[in-house]
Amino acid sequence: MNTAAKVKVWDPVVRIFHWSLVSAFFIAYVTEEDFLSLHVWAGYTVLSLVFLRVLWGFVGTQYARFAHFVYTPQTVKRFLLDTLRLRASRYLGHNPAGGAMIILLLVALLLTSLSGLAVYGVQDGAGPLAGMLAGAGEFWGDVFEEVHEFFANFTIFLVLLHVAGVIVESLIHGENLVSAMWHGYKRKAH
Amino acid sequence: MKRWIIMGTGLVVVLTLGWKMKVSMADEDEYWKRTRDVAAVENPVYKEECGSCHMAYPPGLLPGRSWEKMMAGLEDHFGENAELDSVTAAELSRFLVDNSANAVPNYRRSRQITRDLSNESAPLRITKLAYFRHEHREIPARLIAANPEVGSLSNCNACHQKAELGSFSEREIHIPGYGKWDD
Amino acid sequence: MKPNKQIIVTSVLLALTTPILANEVVTKLLQDYRSQAVQPFSAEAGRQLWIKFFTDANGDKRSCTTCHTSDPKQAGQHARTGKRIEPLAPSVNSERLTQEREIHKWLTRNCKWTLGRECDAQEKGDLLTYLNSL
Repeated sequence: MNTAAKVKVWDPVVRIFHWSLVSAFFIAYVTEEDFLSLHVWAGYTVLSLVFLRVLWGFVGTQYARFAHFVYTPQTVKRFLLDTLRLRASRYLGHNPAGGAMIILLLVALLLTSLSGLAVYGVQDGAGPLAGMLAGAGEFWGDVFEEVHEFFANFTIFLVLLHVAGVIVESLIHGENLVSAMWHGYKRKAH
Repeated sequence: MKRWIIMGTGLVVVLTLGWKMKVSMADEDEYWKRTRDVAAVENPVYKEECGSCHMAYPPGLLPGRSWEKMMAGLEDHFGENAELDSVTAAELSRFLVDNSANAVPNYRRSRQITRDLSNESAPLRITKLAYFRHEHREIPARLIAANPEVGSLSNCNACHQKAELGSFSEREIHIPGYGKWDD
Repeated sequence: MKPNKQIIVTSVLLALTTPILANEVVTKLLQDYRSQAVQPFSAEAGRQLWIKFFTDANGDKRSCTTCHTSDPKQAGQHARTGKRIEPLAPSVNSERLTQEREIHKWLTRNCKWTLGRECDAQEKGDLLTYLNSL
């Protein structure tokens, strides 16, 4: 890619957020309760990153804003069908499916981390929810634990879909979207 | 400009709450070390004297007052005679109380056990603890009482392969004649 | 009996029983028990005691064999917990009967459990003689 043909799409906040989130979630997922302190910190990092990304989604650069990549469900569906027919347009920012995936991921991560804090409060009597939940009893501990496990695994499922989508999109339009999320540049639109 | 004020505020919120998190976190050891359920039993006298008829139960599974009560009644130890000479008995009592569930804050199971107990109760049976019963409530009798290789819930290390190392992780369970326990 | 005849009889008895005793600790204990014993110790008497059943307060039957089986050369298991008990016969398990403290401890506890009372010196001597003879 020579300098004339590329455009800066992803700002540093988006990129740092994205890869920090990948690391933090990965660490949380593999440590589980076997390395509880590390797991809790990774989870708290996830929660913080999600919070900051939501803020940035309202005040950030153009391609980072929710207004730019959140489409109606009909548009998302049409985009997916077009993709299947290899007729979908190329988007410089997040395409409709990508945008929908981001929303789903943010929600799933939010629910995963919050339920995790709930488990921590009930079972270990620790963390910010401990004051409220420490006496909640075994039943609630189990409920929160099941919810936490479910959303963690659901997030993994979304991640796999997301990676598949990125690969498909990269192949269709002949570009490397992973490295684009690293250095921020994409091929200019014609 | 407004953008950075908002993001800056967000960052401050995150860091402040992070600090509060740290303060409210359980007192675990270094983060990279495996979380400890209870301390492994290493005291050789305890292993010898209290592990000859059954597994030497980790002291972290009962509060200090339970161990004191148990050591004061060794002639009728769940229907058996387990009496000891007074010197050894005193030594073991001190070991048990010093490493009991309410004496050691860094162990997850100990915390979970004492959380459910009133300050006065001195249960003698680990298997009757509220926390224990909750954790084992879904296991059918055919895997325990009717299982010749297990026999009873008191036989921890029949299924918990690392019980004597102080670990009761669900992933380390292998029930004889059955296999892993997948919840 | 005249004193020197007593000495001769005792020495002969000791000499007769010595080949059975491979074990210093047992020898010493037998000497301790001898003064309170009624008859010379015998492995057969020990064996009879070993296999005898006693009834406890609930009407249940108890015996040494309940945990140690009728053959002390075999491993046994704890009647309640099922935990494996290594063989008691020193001929099979060389650590057995080598520590006086341990012998005292287990004889006290297990006689109380089995017989409902402590074993007397005769019984202890017979038992040790039996176990050591296997």
